[in-house]
Amino acid sequence: MFAGAGVVLGVMVAVYAAARALRLSTELAMVAAALGGAVAGGHLFPARQIAEGAATYLDINLIFITATLFMNLLKASGGVAFVVRGILRRFHRRRALLLAMLALVLLVPGALTGAGSVTVLIAGGMVATVLGYMGISRVRVAAIVFVVASLSAAAPPVSLWAMMTAAGVNMPYVGFFWPLLVPCLAAALFTVFALGWRGTAADLECALAELPEAPPGMSWWRVLAPFAVFLGLVWMGRQWPHDTPVVGLPLMFAASALVSWGLSPVPVRVLRVASDTIEQLLPLLATLTCAGILVQIMTLTGARGLLAVTAVTLPVAVVYATLFLVLPASEAVLMWGSAPVIGVPLVLLFNTIGLNPIVALAGMSIIWPLGDALPPTAIIGRLTVDVVGYKGPYGGFLRACAIPALVMAVIGTLMVVYSAKLAWLTGI
Amino acid sequence: MMNRAAVRKALLGVLAVLFVGASGKSFSDHRRLAEPVVLGPGVTRVARLADYHATLRGTANDINLYVLEGREPGGTILVFGGTHAEEPAGRLAAWLIVEHATVDKGRLIVALSANRSASTVTRPGAAYPPTYTIPTAWGGQAFRMGDRWSSPLDQWPDPEVFIHYPSGQYLAYSDIRNLNRTFPGRPNGTLTERTAFAFMELIRREGVDVAIDLHEAELQYPVINTIVTHQKGQEFATMVSMMLTDMEGFSIGTEFSPLNLHGLSHREIGDHSQAVSLLFEAPEPFLDATRGRTDADVLLSGQDEFVVKAGAHGLLFAPIDERGWPIATRVGRHTSSVAQTATTWSEDHPGRAVIVKNIPRYADLLAHGVGYFLRDPARAEPGRVAHE
Repeated sequence: MFAGAGVVLGVMVAVYAAARALRLSTELAMVAAALGGAVAGGHLFPARQIAEGAATYLDINLIFITATLFMNLLKASGGVAFVVRGILRRFHRRRALLLAMLALVLLVPGALTGAGSVTVLIAGGMVATVLGYMGISRVRVAAIVFVVASLSAAAPPVSLWAMMTAAGVNMPYVGFFWPLLVPCLAAALFTVFALGWRGTAADLECALAELPEAPPGMSWWRVLAPFAVFLGLVWMGRQWPHDTPVVGLPLMFAASALVSWGLSPVPVRVLRVASDTIEQLLPLLATLTCAGILVQIMTLTGARGLLAVTAVTLPVAVVYATLFLVLPASEAVLMWGSAPVIGVPLVLLFNTIGLNPIVALAGMSIIWPLGDALPPTAIIGRLTVDVVGYKGPYGGFLRACAIPALVMAVIGTLMVVYSAKLAWLTGI
Repeated sequence: MMNRAAVRKALLGVLAVLFVGASGKSFSDHRRLAEPVVLGPGVTRVARLADYHATLRGTANDINLYVLEGREPGGTILVFGGTHAEEPAGRLAAWLIVEHATVDKGRLIVALSANRSASTVTRPGAAYPPTYTIPTAWGGQAFRMGDRWSSPLDQWPDPEVFIHYPSGQYLAYSDIRNLNRTFPGRPNGTLTERTAFAFMELIRREGVDVAIDLHEAELQYPVINTIVTHQKGQEFATMVSMMLTDMEGFSIGTEFSPLNLHGLSHREIGDHSQAVSLLFEAPEPFLDATRGRTDADVLLSGQDEFVVKAGAHGLLFAPIDERGWPIATRVGRHTSSVAQTATTWSEDHPGRAVIVKNIPRYADLLAHGVGYFLRDPARAEPGRVAHE
């Protein structure tokens, strides 16, 4: 069994590397690796298994689509520009508050959608403009946007790494809110202050001139009402769970999107925004779908079990000491596919040795997104560099991210090691 | 260039049609597979779960209830397998009871697919085989492999968080489709909650004395090789456990149902009815996350080197070696446990006795295997075959 699974795993790694060398996308390379592994495992045409694997993250994909549609409609209606301009006007003389508020603006889109790329696309450009007029160098601006966007993806309520790993170990995605929020918020604030404190006074006039105009008639209630609808639906479901129809998170986000569209002071071509949303998300949806196929075939052939049993029988000190390398590296190769492939056996190990699996997984979720700036994929890192308009070498951008990245790795690792003592954060 | 692109698209189109056709047929065949059950000599009638809650009629969970009545009045024992349809030993044990058991006194009610919906779907990401076949002298019988949760085709979407009725306890969102988290159910709830409610109605209306829920568990799960009992049945379950350990050649422990863990049959049936509720757990290495290859052979043999390695590192709550936990061993533990439960109950409660005979026991299963006890539907008397 060990030899057979080892051969399958070896074939998968070789096919993946070959596919990438042939310039296939990460998603297609994952599917190629899955097909190669299936053949090596004696399954020539595992159609059912591929279809079932592709559906593994269907619910998460639906949340992704509807939440991003909500955010995009808010942006198209001028709501995001209104918020950023409002924050700038109110806090331009108070650098600390302005930095903190901009960090919050960056955290919200990714926290709601689970995708750092959504943060970059929705708010990254506008926040970068403000940061630029605060005298912060372009490379540091890029680093701030990337790091906080990465943290936003790990922040609650939607953290795909935590959700996918929890699903893989039959653990409910419950109790994660505070273990994810506290470190994400702390690391985000550290990042904006560490990289953004030095600079000049905010140049209000120039920044306002460059930011997109908020449409006349836009107001705080038009911005906040869709969020209130979302929170209201969640509250109703919890307050009267047995008298409220089960609608699910995707429909809640869709309702918020509808309200955002309905309250827009300017006409918004909703079908165009929806179409753009799908186009924008297609690579990410493809990643989740293909990761599902890869994991299904790894499970079918025993490759996943081989990784799992190897991980749970490793010396724990070795696992702790290499988390900061293994998690970002796996993210750089497999993107979210790293959660079920690497995260599941690690959580099993932590659970078995008496750590708190929720806090430990939350800690790992802080470290994973660092891989989004690393080759071969580096999707969010490259996206950030483009959106922010940083023209220097990519290595310079990575060096600018180094200190916050180190802090995130330390926080995440400490959360894993001391997860049992931090169990109170879960509220369970 | 145009021609090459057109050829490539045509090839991809053909591949897509083949792929959709092959996978769609597999999903359809799995959902529609009719598993034959030969009504044994003890079965006096077949009722339906919807008889106890009409909203289930026409749904995937309007299941058969096999009633085995003795000539003498007595008590009633309910046995149900398939609460979690990915745990085949529970279903197969119930199958053998329906096909073989006879009742002299009292009544036995048996459900083979408590959450039938869950038996019509396999879990995305888990790579389960859709079916498994138990070899028999007459060629073998195919069974559906299922999942822990009701099929999303029957109940979807899940809520943001599942709040159990009536305790208000927060549970994982997907557990709103887990029958063993939805007891005692709600009459106007989801399909799974209505299924649980129908079982409760059955238990209340038929005056069930003992309700037995048959399960299997991964070896990394601490509640294994045990009888979980409501506090009403503590002494009773301990006696059953002692008798099994003494008489049957396998050891089985007892655990008490936690007072504040809601939705499980061993807690809620005991709390919301007159019945004593028991849940039997047998070991199923196939469910372990460290398992190797995932196929029907491993499901039935219970042999897995990876799980053995995890055990060697002290990571498991049940023993395992290269012999594994074959399906006959797991089914035998359940059938013997049910038989011993009836015996001990009848000795303790002569007025509510349930005297059951001819259940294949642990030693029988070890000696002959499961297939030996499955009856050939082709040779059954007319009108004596039902389908799951």
